Amino acid sequence: MSKKLPEFGTINVPHERAVPFGAVTPAPVHVQELFMTSNWRIVRPVIDNEKCTRCLTCYIACPDSCWSYNEEEDVMEWNAGFCKGCQICIKQCPSDALTAVPELDFPDGVVRLEKPF
Amino acid sequence: MAQEKMLTGCSAAAQALKLAEVEVICSYPIRPYTAIMMELSKMVANGELDAEFVHGEGEHAQLSVVLGASACGARAVTGSAGVGVTYAFELYSPVAGGRYPLQMTIADRTLDPPGDFGSEHTDAMSTRDQGWILGWASTPQEVFDNTLMGYRIGEDPRIMLPQMTCQDGYFISHIPDKVKLADLKQVKEFLPPYSAPHPISTTCPVSHGPQIRPDQGAPMDAQRAATFLDLPKVIKEATEDYNRIFGRNYDPFLEKYKLEDAEIAFFIQGAHSNTCRTAVDTLRKQGLKAGMARPRWVRPWPTREIAEALGHVKAVGSIETSTSYGGAMRGGNLIHELRASLYDLDERPLTTSFMAGLGGETIWPEDFEFMAKVLSQMVREKRAQKYVYWIGFEE
Repeated sequence: MSKKLPEFGTINVPHERAVPFGAVTPAPVHVQELFMTSNWRIVRPVIDNEKCTRCLTCYIACPDSCWSYNEEEDVMEWNAGFCKGCQICIKQCPSDALTAVPELDFPDGVVRLEKPF
Repeated sequence: MAQEKMLTGCSAAAQALKLAEVEVICSYPIRPYTAIMMELSKMVANGELDAEFVHGEGEHAQLSVVLGASACGARAVTGSAGVGVTYAFELYSPVAGGRYPLQMTIADRTLDPPGDFGSEHTDAMSTRDQGWILGWASTPQEVFDNTLMGYRIGEDPRIMLPQMTCQDGYFISHIPDKVKLADLKQVKEFLPPYSAPHPISTTCPVSHGPQIRPDQGAPMDAQRAATFLDLPKVIKEATEDYNRIFGRNYDPFLEKYKLEDAEIAFFIQGAHSNTCRTAVDTLRKQGLKAGMARPRWVRPWPTREIAEALGHVKAVGSIETSTSYGGAMRGGNLIHELRASLYDLDERPLTTSFMAGLGGETIWPEDFEFMAKVLSQMVREKRAQKYVYWIGFEE
């Protein structure tokens, strides 16, 4: 072998872009801040607190646990970071308190964001 | 002293897994690998091995069970053959990406259709881009040794990757050969207990397998690729330790048989290399300077070692025991990476490939003589006439 063969080199992922080893993270107590996954949402559920009876059907129905009950203020809270806009909560709500509103109607709509979060 | 016994490849794998003190086993039957699980279940039933033995309802479930077990911090094993290997396909990348160093023990079988149960490497070879450590044994002894080496390499904190340790169905899995076993003391010296970095636990809860964002995909791929750059060093260390503790003489990556002065060489993995060695001896008696190179691992691919070992040879023929229909050479898989490994040399050998050992066919000494004739002709004519020869179907 006369010629020097190419090297494999190294692969350097900068610290700020590195993903946790095997994507294993501390379990979220409430919200997993490291992996926000709602950036493909087209519509979001908007709640009418006058119609809402706090029956928690949305809390049970949501596959991503995006609804929670704030006891102090007695309101349902929606998690924008995980809601995929699947609208199951809207279909399940017995008092028609939820409406699907296009993301484009919001200044912070995910379709308007340059970087998801 | 370590015992020596006549064992099939399947028994040898089971004996090594027992010595590795695997904690979770998940089985689903498909011949020829099934015999490994039969022996392990007997060991568990007789109280010789303290492990959870789980019956999966299919290979997809098998991989899912051992993924969970490994995430909990258990040394886990599963296995399969043929279409069982492909049925589990969805799980291969998540197991490697989640960094679960479990082991899958494979006795190769031809894929369907039709339901041929002979040995062929296409089953496990088709998983080669999924991020696993992947390698072939050539004897029951090497099955035993690779099983232990697999865990040591995969569980190394610098690596943390699953391993697929393969043996040819029937040729190795069901033909007994002398196997030197090991003492538990030796195994303890070689293989430290598995320590999962973030085990699933109730006291320190963690999330495994979350959804990541598209912008996190590239860095994760890069991190996985970087691990494969470290892998050769760890394989080398593990093989050297293994050779020292168990008294073996393995080259970490490439068995080189009579290559020093070889003019033609066979490049072959797995069981048929045993016939190949004899064929090389016969050809040498006839005055032909033949040699053989046998890769022990396909992932990581031994690029540099191949360039060093085969650079001086005039013609190399890779003997494919797997298919890559419509691939660059219209034959098998090994030839692509063999040629790529030799490409940057100033003077590189001529190369061609031979489709042989497919569907469970034996590669006979006469076949090696035919291949040697092709390679010699290439040397004389200073060119390869064909990219691929289908053994048994050539004029």
